[in-house]
Amino acid sequence: MIALVAQDTQTVALPGPPVVWSLLWPFLILAVGGVLLVTVTSVVPVLRGRSFPAAFTCLTALASGLSLIPVWQRVDRLDLVGGTIGSGTEGPRSLVSGAYAVDGFTVFVTGVICVSVFLTALLLDGYLRREGLDGPEWYVLMLMSASGGVLLASANDLIVSFLGLEILSIAAYVMAALHLRRAESQEAGFKYFVLGALASAFFLYGIALVYGATGSTTLQGIFAAGPNAAGLDPRTDSSLILAGMALLLVGFAFKVSAVPFHFWAPDVYQGAPSPVVAFMASGVKVAGFAGLARIFLYAFQPYWADWRPAIAALAVLSTIVGGLLALAQRNVKRMLAYSSINHAGFMLLAIHAAASPDDGGQRGAEALLFYLLAYTVMVTGTFGVATIVGGRGDGRHDLDDYRGLSRSNPLLAGVMAILLFSQAGVPFTSGFFAKFRVIGALASDGSYALGGAAMLAAVISAVLYLRIVVSMFLIDNGEAHEADHEAVDAVAGGRAAPEAEGDTLVEASPEASVLTSVRAPAPTALLAVCLAAAVTLVLGLLPDLGGGILSDAASALLLAG
Amino acid sequence: MIPVALLAAESAAPAPFALLPSLIAVPVLTAVFIALLPANRGDFAKAAALVGSTITGAISLFVLAVFEKGDPGFQLVSQHSWVSSLGLSWILGVDGISLFLVVLTGILFPIAIVTTEAHHEPKPYYLWLMLLMAGSMGAFLALDLLLFFLFFEVVLVPMYFLIGGWGHGERVKAAMKFFLYTMAASALMLVGIVSLAVLVGRETGVPTFDVRVLAENSDVLSHTAALLIFLSFATAFAVKVPLFPLHTWLPDAHTEAPTAGSVILAGVMLKLGTYGFIRFGLYLLPEIAHELAWIFLTLGVVGIVYGAAVATMQKDLKRLVAYSSIAHLGFIVLGVFAMNAQGLTGAVLQMVNHGVSTGALFILVGWVYERRHTREIALLGGLQGVAPIMAAVFTVVMLSSIGLPGLNGFVGEFLILLGAFSSARWWAVVGVSGVILAALYLLWAYQRVFHGPVSGDNEKMSDLKLSEMFGIAPLIALIIAMGVYPKPILDRIEPSVDALVAHIGQRVDGFSEQEPEPVAPAGVDELIATAEASGHGGEAEAQEAEEGAE
Amino acid sequence: MRVTETWYLTLSALLFTVGFVGLLVRRNPLVMFMSLELMLNAVNISFVAFANKLDDIAGQTAVFFVLVVAAAEVVVGLSIVVAVMRRRPSITADDLRSLKG
Repeated sequence: MIALVAQDTQTVALPGPPVVWSLLWPFLILAVGGVLLVTVTSVVPVLRGRSFPAAFTCLTALASGLSLIPVWQRVDRLDLVGGTIGSGTEGPRSLVSGAYAVDGFTVFVTGVICVSVFLTALLLDGYLRREGLDGPEWYVLMLMSASGGVLLASANDLIVSFLGLEILSIAAYVMAALHLRRAESQEAGFKYFVLGALASAFFLYGIALVYGATGSTTLQGIFAAGPNAAGLDPRTDSSLILAGMALLLVGFAFKVSAVPFHFWAPDVYQGAPSPVVAFMASGVKVAGFAGLARIFLYAFQPYWADWRPAIAALAVLSTIVGGLLALAQRNVKRMLAYSSINHAGFMLLAIHAAASPDDGGQRGAEALLFYLLAYTVMVTGTFGVATIVGGRGDGRHDLDDYRGLSRSNPLLAGVMAILLFSQAGVPFTSGFFAKFRVIGALASDGSYALGGAAMLAAVISAVLYLRIVVSMFLIDNGEAHEADHEAVDAVAGGRAAPEAEGDTLVEASPEASVLTSVRAPAPTALLAVCLAAAVTLVLGLLPDLGGGILSDAASALLLAG
Repeated sequence: MIPVALLAAESAAPAPFALLPSLIAVPVLTAVFIALLPANRGDFAKAAALVGSTITGAISLFVLAVFEKGDPGFQLVSQHSWVSSLGLSWILGVDGISLFLVVLTGILFPIAIVTTEAHHEPKPYYLWLMLLMAGSMGAFLALDLLLFFLFFEVVLVPMYFLIGGWGHGERVKAAMKFFLYTMAASALMLVGIVSLAVLVGRETGVPTFDVRVLAENSDVLSHTAALLIFLSFATAFAVKVPLFPLHTWLPDAHTEAPTAGSVILAGVMLKLGTYGFIRFGLYLLPEIAHELAWIFLTLGVVGIVYGAAVATMQKDLKRLVAYSSIAHLGFIVLGVFAMNAQGLTGAVLQMVNHGVSTGALFILVGWVYERRHTREIALLGGLQGVAPIMAAVFTVVMLSSIGLPGLNGFVGEFLILLGAFSSARWWAVVGVSGVILAALYLLWAYQRVFHGPVSGDNEKMSDLKLSEMFGIAPLIALIIAMGVYPKPILDRIEPSVDALVAHIGQRVDGFSEQEPEPVAPAGVDELIATAEASGHGGEAEAQEAEEGAE
Repeated sequence: MRVTETWYLTLSALLFTVGFVGLLVRRNPLVMFMSLELMLNAVNISFVAFANKLDDIAGQTAVFFVLVVAAAEVVVGLSIVVAVMRRRPSITADDLRSLKG
């Protein structure tokens, strides 16, 4: 429980719980940064200009990320040689009365969320300029949402998880609806809100039932009440806890858009402002997975045999349905929504493997962490390109709008191709090693059939990436090519004319503004997508991630407490 | 089992410098260089690609020169740990089986570049070709199962763009089909690879993807596990080869691809399948390969007959060549699953032969198309009259493809049939019919295209330019040289093949009893003598044909 | 007749179900919104009932957090509903279908 230090001057001061502030910095920087930004920009209106909030948000994400380094050094030593933080009565790694836990896993996830915030802030800058939208609110909400995500990932108590989930989600609902001139944006916001709130209600009911069954809301307490402890706790009611776990799982499945709780995702991804979708698909989802992994792999670890089949079913359904439903789409943002459902399936498979009692467990946890990082970078970059191509009004997301991108902006098309092939799992990209690690973990666990099903689903989803690539690279030049080889130059010349016009008549027509947007994208947005593509390639060549970070963080997840 | 790996690495001859990695690095660096060129300098791109691929080809010839011919093991091994947490290492090496495929790759790329033109956007075109070269080299050199898979998969991307971007007709559909078919087939292979490494690693204690270690220890697998893993590999390779029921992507991909793409696809990429069968089927899991040999023999033979029969009926010259590839690859599979020294040696040799002669055929068909803008056999005719040199070159290549004694195709097919007769007689009998059918469809096509009266637009067709003659000359020289004097090549292939056969014999009970004369060096010598003897006659015939054509 | 925790839990489950069904069948955004609130508060009853049964303060504390969160949700949810309805005053959830594929 977050204990509030309530001081009453008349009576004896309530003793607050010991707080190890140095370990809270990554979280505090994000939360305080958000509050500070909204305050400063309200008090000093000059700073409401678009550059300051973006720069401030990037710096905040960077600062939060950097503050992770000392935290990592401290908790990594803790993980290795043992020891406790603070009094250690509520678990060796927990602080603030056992409400909050810091270990390698949370540090890693916080880092991933910071990456997502950083890249999205770069995208938002160009987007807001293009749309003529004003205001630091977008950035404030994103920082708030990110702090909620960190809270969810670090929660050591289900009530704190709920708080984190709500902070994460409520800010995201607003962001989805924040493009006030677009009806689609509000529609997306409404749908996201209703289904998100429904998920929260399920989640909360799950907490209540688990609390009723075990008498505790702390992860430690729930774990201790489980059948693996010294003896079955007489208060543990197994049907009650099963129902509670099921409801919690449904809540999380909504959040991470796993089939069959995915139906909101395509609508919301299509309607919400593109940079916001980048954040929803990366940061929000990562936090959801982190919470899911933490709660199920730790608190519900004693019941792993009960919940594991459910995870496997959700996972396989997500991979297959995500791939299949994408086939019928023509809207790129919808297609990418289905692709993110497919990825969610892979990450659930990693959690499935991580629950394995033998050596698949460690590999599964590593696979999950690597997937979260690789996925965040890929998906932010991909939606970044969608943001750029979307053009003024953020409406050009049909496959046809990607036609000939390789000509109008080869760099952008190349970056998109790298990101899409990575999502398809082509070797020498991070996406390959992400999938490979999941398959490896499943094989270590002996779940060969699941691995095979997932790989086949990955092939189905490859179709959707290839369709986008076809639009970008192959269709446009092809029609010219097919007509006649000699005619190519003439056609290209004919096409060049309206493009040149587009430069001078920027405001004239949506056509023209799109061409400008594609041919001269906002430098920050371009930087973001290029960074994403570069990281994707680097992770594809050096998937070890600097030695033991992955394995330390993964073992922290499995030994949490 | 680390010691095994170390031992293997030490026993191999030390590379003078990073010889094998440079075969991959040079094309990659060339690709990077091309990417950095200004967009409007397409001519530079071609020159850069030509220089890069020629250097790579020269290095591959240097590898051939320093290759120790008596040594059956892996040579010039370059071994570094790469992703230690996953057990993935960077291990490259050549033996007699992969050596000539590497050389073939090194030779075919510069030729494909010099003999064809990119019709538009040369910069990305040559960039993709260079990446394709790096990937193909990597796949043939990799001794780490996962590293092989990385290269095996990554070559799809450049090929996809080459077919889709620079192909003809339904190129986008063909490219999609090619990519998805191959990717779907190899999806399960990844699961198989990982399972193999995990299961073997559990026994040996060290997770690794080193094929040498895996091959030594793969007998710890249960029969079911080995069977499933083998099937997952076999599906991937069977699509790549392609074996009969899984071949449907090939005619489309070949027909729609640009000429250079077809040359590389037929010459190099199909070999990834048959090479995979040898290296990762027979070598890694000999028991299952032996047990299931009859399936692959049957599919191979069906492929021979089916490919030939369908080729006969084709109206499109390029499609005809594409189907002839299915028949030829069926022969190679027959040799591989004969699982004896002659069959395997023949199969390896035939892979190179097919690369050379089918590559040349695709180049020639490409030239015809460039001049006439059609590949319809019915619309062509009498080309011999207007393009005698082309007709002569076509004759040699076609005869090599048919397997005329004295040209390269004969030696390979003969060895394959010899091997198959001793271990899989009835399949060999059916296979022989493929030779006859090949003569039928190729000669008939030749007759329709080159003989007869010159009709319509064909009158204006020009003969080969000097540059084109220079471009294809190396392939013609190889066709004749390998047909007349294959001994230096066989000498390098045989030790490795013998070692492989011995490895299979060690692992499979009753393997040697099944074959009365498993390895007969004398037999091979005799064979070479035969080949040489008939070679002279064949050469004369070929010359006659050339003269006749002129 | 003694009123045990089971009664409260059943009431809580019933209210939750009513809220859930309401959310599914009603098409007025405001009513859907009320259904959501009903679900959250149904859970609160469970929390208090369990806290009473377990003789533990944590469950009752949780209720306060839930109340705060629910209030925050109301603020955001209502503003989104208002924004949507201002654009099209007589809207129902069925009309929100410009996003589909």
